[in-house]
Amino acid sequence: MNGFAGADLSGTVATWFAAIATIAVWSYLVGSRRLFVLMQHLLAGLATGYLVLLAIRDVLVPRLAAPLVEHPRDHALLLPALVLVGMLVGGSWLPRRAVAPVGAILVGGIAAFALGGAVVGTILPQIAAALPAGSAAAPELAGGVISLAITSLVLIAFLHGAPRGTMTTRAATLGRWLLVGGIGGWLGFLVVSRLSLLVDRIAFLLGDWLTVLR
Amino acid sequence: MTNNVGPTLLTGERAARLRRAVPTLLLLLGLVVASLLSGGIDGLRLASPDRSRVDQLRAAIRDLPDGALVLIACDADLGTYPEIRATTRAAIDDLAARGARLAIVSFTPEGRAIAAAERARIARAGTEDPPADLGFVAGAEAGLVRSIASLVPEDAEGATFDAIREGGGGIGAFDMVLIVSGSDISARSWVEQVGSRLPDLSMVAIAPTFLDPELEPYLRSGQLTALLSTLREGVAYAQAVAAGSTSSRGPTPGPLPMLVGMLIALAVLAEGAFRRLVRRGRRSPGPSPS
Repeated sequence: MNGFAGADLSGTVATWFAAIATIAVWSYLVGSRRLFVLMQHLLAGLATGYLVLLAIRDVLVPRLAAPLVEHPRDHALLLPALVLVGMLVGGSWLPRRAVAPVGAILVGGIAAFALGGAVVGTILPQIAAALPAGSAAAPELAGGVISLAITSLVLIAFLHGAPRGTMTTRAATLGRWLLVGGIGGWLGFLVVSRLSLLVDRIAFLLGDWLTVLR
Repeated sequence: MTNNVGPTLLTGERAARLRRAVPTLLLLLGLVVASLLSGGIDGLRLASPDRSRVDQLRAAIRDLPDGALVLIACDADLGTYPEIRATTRAAIDDLAARGARLAIVSFTPEGRAIAAAERARIARAGTEDPPADLGFVAGAEAGLVRSIASLVPEDAEGATFDAIREGGGGIGAFDMVLIVSGSDISARSWVEQVGSRLPDLSMVAIAPTFLDPELEPYLRSGQLTALLSTLREGVAYAQAVAAGSTSSRGPTPGPLPMLVGMLIALAVLAEGAFRRLVRRGRRSPGPSPS
């Protein structure tokens, strides 16, 4: 019913295996640790194997080895990149002075992408969208003011170590509670997602495996 | 004497362990019964009565030009994909019915596994062609940015790949991107990295409920054209698309098991709060004797 396994023999085997694995994981609930650990190891092994295969088949061969072998002149930049990767891999044997710049380039690149994207793609457009237009209706204006107030209170809650008066302390406490409320609300969303997963697993066992649910 | 105490302790430990498992086992049993009864109850409906989000996505697909190129960015998470599986399949059906030429790509290993499974499912069903496979792109956000210029594997052959190459070979060649979110590379990454570089590209997203608070501001600001990010909206969309497709979308969670699960979750919260109150009440000193 979830459509991932076909009606042929391999599909039937896959369905049975998935059902047994699900029950084996749930056996932890009644204290059967061995089966659970076995399933954990199986998952770790399968995930590692899958990642290795993916890295070789979809990344290393088609995007590194093949271009370097077939058209080395068109992909000259891959050579220094390869050297950098080699230095990272051999980091534990190479002198720290040689490895540190490579690590710095890696971390700096990732940070630049993330930070640049966050500023240009999220902060600025969201501030622009949150600013009430000249012809904004009263509810929109009120919403903007409330958003600004909540944001300010939450930011004040982060002012650890700064000198505080009575008002600031109260505002920080309120901000902290708003933050806790926000996290609680988000956890509620997460519960719905996880509950859907559990309901889906039960539907899989009853529908795909035992075929009592249609 | 030691021989007698050992087994008793073990049995006691096991009994305690089983006692601890009782609430969870009851939850499972409750969900099993609710799943079995779900089909026979007409009064409950999971689909959202508010169709505005559904209409937004349907309108975005309807407004696509004939033979539009649509990229499905499949970066769902294995732990939340069941929630959006039916919605994703409905969107693929909707796009195929509109005559869009589909291609699928992933920027996370998990997303790649799901994309491969979905392509295999569509091929097995045989009702429509599976989306052209653009494979897995490594490098997370850097890979996403690189894909703006070049996305098609060099050895890829086919009409859809040729059309993408004619349009420049990167993400800019597409008329729309359907972002199936759930993992680290979510619709937020697309908005931040691609939306700021290709502002005219239409981006629609399907996401599990826990991403709703993160993604909703992008819909309000217009950075996302459409967004389905709750289970109820997803079910409403899957029902709206239902016509015309024979391929299996897989079951959507039944309303009764979801209701039972939520009630149990609330009961657990209430029980925890009540227990804490009782404990606090015991700790507080009683009235001083006069």
